[in-house]
Amino acid sequence: MGTIKVGRPQAKPSTPTHVRGLHQGNRGPRHHQAGHHPDGTADARRSTGVHWKRHNKVMESMPSISPG
Amino acid sequence: MTTTEGRTRAAERKPPQMVDMSWDPITRIIGNLGIYTKIDFANQEVVECHSTSSLFRGYSVFMKGKDPRDAGFITSRICGICGDNHTTCSNYAQQMAYGVKTPPLAEHIVNLGEAAEYMFDHTIFQDNLVFVDFCEAMVKATNPSLLARAERTAAPRGDIHGYRTIADVMRAFNPFEGEVYREALKVSRITREMFCLMEGRHVHPSTMYPAGVGTMPQPNTFTDYLSRLTRVIDFVKEAVALNDDVFDFFYEALPGYEEVGRRRIMLGCWGAWQDPAVVDYRYENMNDWGKAMYVTPGIIVDGELVTNNLVDINLGMRILLGSSYYEDWEGQEPFVTHDPLGNPVDMRHPWNQTTVPVPQKRDFDAKYSWVMSPRWYHKDSDSHLALDTGGGPLARLWSTALSGLVDTPYVKATGHSVRISLPKSEKLPETTLEWHIPKWSNTIERDRARPYFVAYAAAMAFQFLEEAMQMMRAGETKVFQDFEVPDEAIGVGFHEAVRGVLSHHLVIKDKKIANYHPYPPTPWNASPRDSYGTPGPYEDAVQGQPIFEENGPEDFKGVDIMRTVRSFDPCLPCGVHMYLGKGKTLTTMHSPTYGASHG
Repeated sequence: MGTIKVGRPQAKPSTPTHVRGLHQGNRGPRHHQAGHHPDGTADARRSTGVHWKRHNKVMESMPSISPG
Repeated sequence: MTTTEGRTRAAERKPPQMVDMSWDPITRIIGNLGIYTKIDFANQEVVECHSTSSLFRGYSVFMKGKDPRDAGFITSRICGICGDNHTTCSNYAQQMAYGVKTPPLAEHIVNLGEAAEYMFDHTIFQDNLVFVDFCEAMVKATNPSLLARAERTAAPRGDIHGYRTIADVMRAFNPFEGEVYREALKVSRITREMFCLMEGRHVHPSTMYPAGVGTMPQPNTFTDYLSRLTRVIDFVKEAVALNDDVFDFFYEALPGYEEVGRRRIMLGCWGAWQDPAVVDYRYENMNDWGKAMYVTPGIIVDGELVTNNLVDINLGMRILLGSSYYEDWEGQEPFVTHDPLGNPVDMRHPWNQTTVPVPQKRDFDAKYSWVMSPRWYHKDSDSHLALDTGGGPLARLWSTALSGLVDTPYVKATGHSVRISLPKSEKLPETTLEWHIPKWSNTIERDRARPYFVAYAAAMAFQFLEEAMQMMRAGETKVFQDFEVPDEAIGVGFHEAVRGVLSHHLVIKDKKIANYHPYPPTPWNASPRDSYGTPGPYEDAVQGQPIFEENGPEDFKGVDIMRTVRSFDPCLPCGVHMYLGKGKTLTTMHSPTYGASHG
């Protein structure tokens, strides 16, 4: 900060960017979020827990998308 | 010579009658911009102008040592109106640093969000802030004879917008009462809703991350957007006609008005909207994916395209001091000596910049602003060009038109113009608008380009929607790509904030930010005189401009100067990068549960 007089810093710049044990968003949440597939797609289970299978695609050739 | 040449003047010059006039802060813009002028009332012209900012914020100082993944969320707070542009740009820079490519559908969700932002922001700025300078109440107070003429002049495009005379249009611009003013508020609400569908929240998005988005692509995500978009198309078509009528009238009724805010044509545009089929965020391929952007990047000098290669644009950037309250960083260790292609990187490049603030008294003969002076080094003329953004749309349209690379179903660049096709809407039929490269880079043309760019953004939004819905129908709904943060990396993001060029330069060391420099449009536009004495764009545009206002020094409003400054869409919070007053700490909380013992 040059020659400006500033107060005692509250931030500790040497703090590690990541704390072990904390979830990292960039790894993807799929393993604990129902309805999300590993390839990035999702099905009806993602948006509803009520009769979700009935809200899914009705034919294999159709894409699996989230209802909405 | 990097400034505008002296204007041709009437042969007869009267002895000068100099009056100091200053506006500090300027209203109807964001932040603390002050304009200090010397006006010669005898010859009706501005003789000298200084633009100054009294605000320092220090983003580049406090970003150091932070997790680079937070950069998009932190830098969003630079601005209270175009924060999402910063998030997007920061994510672009991070994606380059992490070596990760966003899934195509996520790219279109970002594009759609940004398109809505352009529509929202340009509408609210033009109709609710700029038009106040052109409204009946203002013209009556500053140029009564012009209003009398407007009452007698029929509006040529009245069949589109429905107003009979130019004075009727000006009455519709009156703040709080005028029809256009009130309608624009409704439209900016709808366009903000569109934005929120894609980016979660306005203006600090909650669903935009590096390498993807958190927006869930469902059929109604896109149909909700589409239904709102079609509702505003009538307004967009009418806005273009209204603007053209009023601005043409100013040229016609006030001969010589083209000299107001005229600058030598030195425009910069860093490109907007990535093409998901081409972009890979690798620096090595930046020239290719830069040219594939749906607004072509480019630097235009004297009406000629100098370059549209993002690598050249990047390497030419120089941050000069001269009239700014900072210490030089010339003796410091550089962060980046060569770019990934092996080109040398200058010490004055944002990648190597260190911000060392030195607060001091304002002195117009020495240092007078917190804004630095970004310049672009032009090899051929060996000069540091004070590029401006033309308020954003002027440079974007100009660069896209000259490059002639954009060829999409709705928008086509022809080399000399940009053709924008908008589908049939509730009241008006299918319309093709054409923006032509103007003769001047001046106040009127900066303002005129704005509604055309709203139309451009709306047209592009149709294409992004169609492509996004096709991807969704094909089941390609992946919107996030896993990635690892590297130990060391550099990245740069190029984007267009609503009011012009935006770049974020990032250096990562030990998985932390070692250096981070956002360069938004206003440092370019509001920059003070640099170390070579070259004035910044506001100063250059206002200096020497004629005054058309009929009022004398006693009741002078300075409307011509304000029109010029506002035509650049000034936004000072982004212009300078801390308030050092004695703040009051309410509570101090520390939240991470894990790792409370570290540090």
